[in-house]
Amino acid sequence: MNKSTLHIAILESSKIICEGIQAILYQSDMDCRIRRLGTLDELIELLESNPVDILIANPLQFVNREKEIRKIRKSYPSLSIAGIDFGMMHKPSTLTDVTFTLYDSSEHILHLLLKLDKKSQSHSNEKEGEENLTRREVEVLTGLVNGMLNKEIADALNISIHTVVRHRKNIAMKTGIRSQSGLTIYAISKKIISIEDIDL
Amino acid sequence: MADLIDGNPYLLLMLQHFNIDFRVSDRTLLQLCHQYGISERLFLSIANLYNGSGTGGEQPFTRKDLLQVIDFLKSSHNYYRFDKYPQISAYIRQLQENHPEKELKLLEKFFNEYFTEVREHLDYEDEVAFPYFITLLGDDKYKNDRQVYSSREYSDHHTDIELKLKDLKNLLLKYITIDNDLDLRRKLFMSLYELEFDLYIHSLIEETILIPSGVDIEREQNE
Repeated sequence: MNKSTLHIAILESSKIICEGIQAILYQSDMDCRIRRLGTLDELIELLESNPVDILIANPLQFVNREKEIRKIRKSYPSLSIAGIDFGMMHKPSTLTDVTFTLYDSSEHILHLLLKLDKKSQSHSNEKEGEENLTRREVEVLTGLVNGMLNKEIADALNISIHTVVRHRKNIAMKTGIRSQSGLTIYAISKKIISIEDIDL
Repeated sequence: MADLIDGNPYLLLMLQHFNIDFRVSDRTLLQLCHQYGISERLFLSIANLYNGSGTGGEQPFTRKDLLQVIDFLKSSHNYYRFDKYPQISAYIRQLQENHPEKELKLLEKFFNEYFTEVREHLDYEDEVAFPYFITLLGDDKYKNDRQVYSSREYSDHHTDIELKLKDLKNLLLKYITIDNDLDLRRKLFMSLYELEFDLYIHSLIEETILIPSGVDIEREQNE
């Protein structure tokens, strides 16, 4: 597993709580860099120029700014958010990935954050466009380069046209190739189909 | 102007599309514009695109500006048609001859089909789109009868050209195995990138200058 420095931002205006979380993190064997932020706007500014893997935040900071949080999550899909539960939340917030309370043990908090780290790592792998196609995608691709229509592929694989279209989108995203003739060459290079199948 | 070209040699391509001679001597940009009867605004807008920033965005351009934009675009069509694509085509042909793998034969076929599509698109712009704009810009009131075409329709047209070029690049960068021949392959890549860059500017000019102005004029005339 690739062990890299974890970038953590703490969004909390209480100095006591900030210092406390920071102490727990620094005393663990977690390799991390911590930034402290007072306001959401500071976070937005930070994200523009620096990587942030995990945000630990007081959910009160999100009040009335839910839209902006969703936008941040969309623009930075690898960012995970851990909320601090002050005992005032009646239901888990949809804006955070996990929450912990001020009374949780250090071990528990670290465990939660490490789990988030794994999540963000798997996310960034996906994002790098590693072009490993799934078995289904390979099947759709094979149909495609054999000149089958979406409908025909759907029937042959017993899936809906909608699903075929979704697979096609994924194929294009993963391979970076969008045209059918380009995909044919891709499929041959990857030995998904044999060149003998193609009329030259 | 010579300093500007030193800073960004791609501006040469722009000069050529404006039909301005490369021997700019010590003339300033302003003097050059006067000499060739091009408005400073238009020249700067396009130069800014070549330098990687926006046009500055303020319309309107005059009708004379827009007619010059069309000439500019036509000239870049000729650059694609008679210079860049044939050059790339020759590189791919050479590559295919050096490496008898069937994949490359397929790549050549891919390129030739693509080139045919591009030519059709360029012809379409030259024969349908540009004349439409020229009529629109004409002095005599353009009558709305038989309006088979509109500026917005025009903008739907050219994404495909850039997409397939990306495919070609990706195939060569990521997938197709070719042994050695780095010289030839580098030349091919450089040509592809040059073409990509100019095509990109080309569509920016169409999208940020020509089409918005066309839409404005259409609105005026419909009032």
